[in-house]
Amino acid sequence: MVFVAGIDVGGKSTKVIILDDARKVRGQAVVKTRPDFPALAREALDIALKQAGLKASDLSYIATTGFGRYNVPFRDNQITEITCVARGAAFLFPKTHSVLDIGAQSTRAVRVAEDGKVRDFRTNDKCAAGAGGFVERAAKYLEVNIDDVGELSVQADKPQTISSVCAVLAESEIINHVSAGESVQNILRGVHNSLASRAMALMKRAGLEDEITFAGGVARQKGMVQALEQALKRKVNVSAEPEMIGALGAALLGLRRLEKIRHDGHEAATKEEPRVA
Amino acid sequence: MIEKFKEWYETRHAYARQWKERTGGKVVGTFCTYVPEEILAAANMLPVRILGSHEPQDVTEPHIFGMFCPFCRDALAQGLKGRFNYLDGVVLAHSCIHFRQTFNSWRIHLPVQFSYYIPMPNTVQTPHARLYHTVEVEKFKKAIEEYTGRPITEQDLDRGIEILNRNRRLLRKVYEYRKLDHPPLTGEEAMYMAVSSQFIDKEEHSKVLEAVLKELPERKLPRDAGIRLMAVGSENDDAEFFRMVEAVGGTVVIDEQCAGSRYFWNELVPNGNRMAAIADRYIDRPPCPVKDYPGHSRFQHVLNLAKDYRAQGAIIMQEKFCDPHEGDNPRLKKYLEDNGIPTLSLEFDSTNPLGPFRIRVEAFLETIRGEELF
Repeated sequence: MVFVAGIDVGGKSTKVIILDDARKVRGQAVVKTRPDFPALAREALDIALKQAGLKASDLSYIATTGFGRYNVPFRDNQITEITCVARGAAFLFPKTHSVLDIGAQSTRAVRVAEDGKVRDFRTNDKCAAGAGGFVERAAKYLEVNIDDVGELSVQADKPQTISSVCAVLAESEIINHVSAGESVQNILRGVHNSLASRAMALMKRAGLEDEITFAGGVARQKGMVQALEQALKRKVNVSAEPEMIGALGAALLGLRRLEKIRHDGHEAATKEEPRVA
Repeated sequence: MIEKFKEWYETRHAYARQWKERTGGKVVGTFCTYVPEEILAAANMLPVRILGSHEPQDVTEPHIFGMFCPFCRDALAQGLKGRFNYLDGVVLAHSCIHFRQTFNSWRIHLPVQFSYYIPMPNTVQTPHARLYHTVEVEKFKKAIEEYTGRPITEQDLDRGIEILNRNRRLLRKVYEYRKLDHPPLTGEEAMYMAVSSQFIDKEEHSKVLEAVLKELPERKLPRDAGIRLMAVGSENDDAEFFRMVEAVGGTVVIDEQCAGSRYFWNELVPNGNRMAAIADRYIDRPPCPVKDYPGHSRFQHVLNLAKDYRAQGAIIMQEKFCDPHEGDNPRLKKYLEDNGIPTLSLEFDSTNPLGPFRIRVEAFLETIRGEELF
């Protein structure tokens, strides 16, 4: 049996997926991202390996993604999160044509072809106003645990408007709502609505097609899913562990590379793939 | 020899000062790329294009509107910081309102001996533009003659024309090498080469180009060309960006921008009437979008370049708030894509977030290279 790993070193958390050659998940891990990426990636990989009952030497291919993807020295290849999230989403939901991925620092809207290939994409510019970090800051200010944000947002009866295009300035809007006596629920839903409308703009620019899959850690927040579905006027696919989709995509693409190299001969390996060459 | 262009690019102001000392000649700052430099060369002047430096600055408030492009601000900042204090004159041939604001502000705050505005028509597509501009070129010549106190003879003009044409011809010859499967020069190197021709003495620049042309057939780069790319935009001399693109698996093999091919692409065609021939050269050159109305002749030119140089994708480099380009780009993007050239659009400021840009460029390259991954 062949095993491969996908490691997604994201802005806030580092995710690992271990797949076998039947494309079944054997192990996984999530570790908070911190400095020293090589050690961090190793630690996360070890957790996933332990869960899978495997050793590092059992892995035939390691693909990395996420903003820290270059800083994992024991990788065979690195692939952007845009390509990985598209592949992961298309694997879980084969009919998906649009993927929205909201991570801690960035938001990506990807239009996907039948085979999970990227047709077009857009990412947020310079500011985190449309990304998960913004929700976190809002939760912190409102003294709400980030895990409770999704539930609270669903309970809103009069969502407040957060109009600012800047994450830092949006905080002052939140402060204004608090001082006006608005409920935490309504403010949080306002944050989600604001995120949803920015995500919509991004998805429209990339081209919006059914089905839509919502990936990334923010997709765990119920209120956010609801806000997005209301903005889109349709249901979106959300997997049980949306934050793992990038790592899953990396593992899938890694496995595909490995199959290709084994099928076409080792000369098919690129400079980056000395371990398999 | 090709390294000389980068050196010139980085030491341009010292070069201009030394040139002045060495020759005793006048240095004229040119705003945008429509100034008929043939006249300046005929008068033995050194035209130096006013460009920005891609550094943060805080000196241009309140001289330029907030919604004007970062380039016009960056360029004015260089003047206000005294980096161009060797200039004897400044000339703008009209292009866009944003850069005209830079020019006007420059004239107010940085007085020079000679300053001249050429009201070049933007509607170059009307036949009337030719006669109009011929008269304006003539007036510009007279103004230079008055300033220097020396007449510009027909022989001077012919020499000026040949100085410019020779440089254009040589740049085109070097660009030919970028068509090869393994281009012997990177896009970054080509950028230094093309941009430096806009502020280095053309005769000196041409000599280096000739030496480079001798070396290129033997030159091998220790890198894979990877994906062949085209850069489309305006004043894009962001070296760090090109370096990044070429470090992640692409090679810029051709550009369509005023910091590159648009500046030198067409030669002047002599027609007996020197003033008219000079005017025609600037009317017939590959246009800046501001001079490409009502017919969009530029789109076909961009596509031809992409095909001739076998670009597999185009990066559309949109200068923030540059309305002429912003108006064209949605249609240009569609036009290129309909013709099989995928595009990546990025918005540029004077300083740019290289990390997020890198992810987008890499994802773009992955979409072009799709077969390898899927």
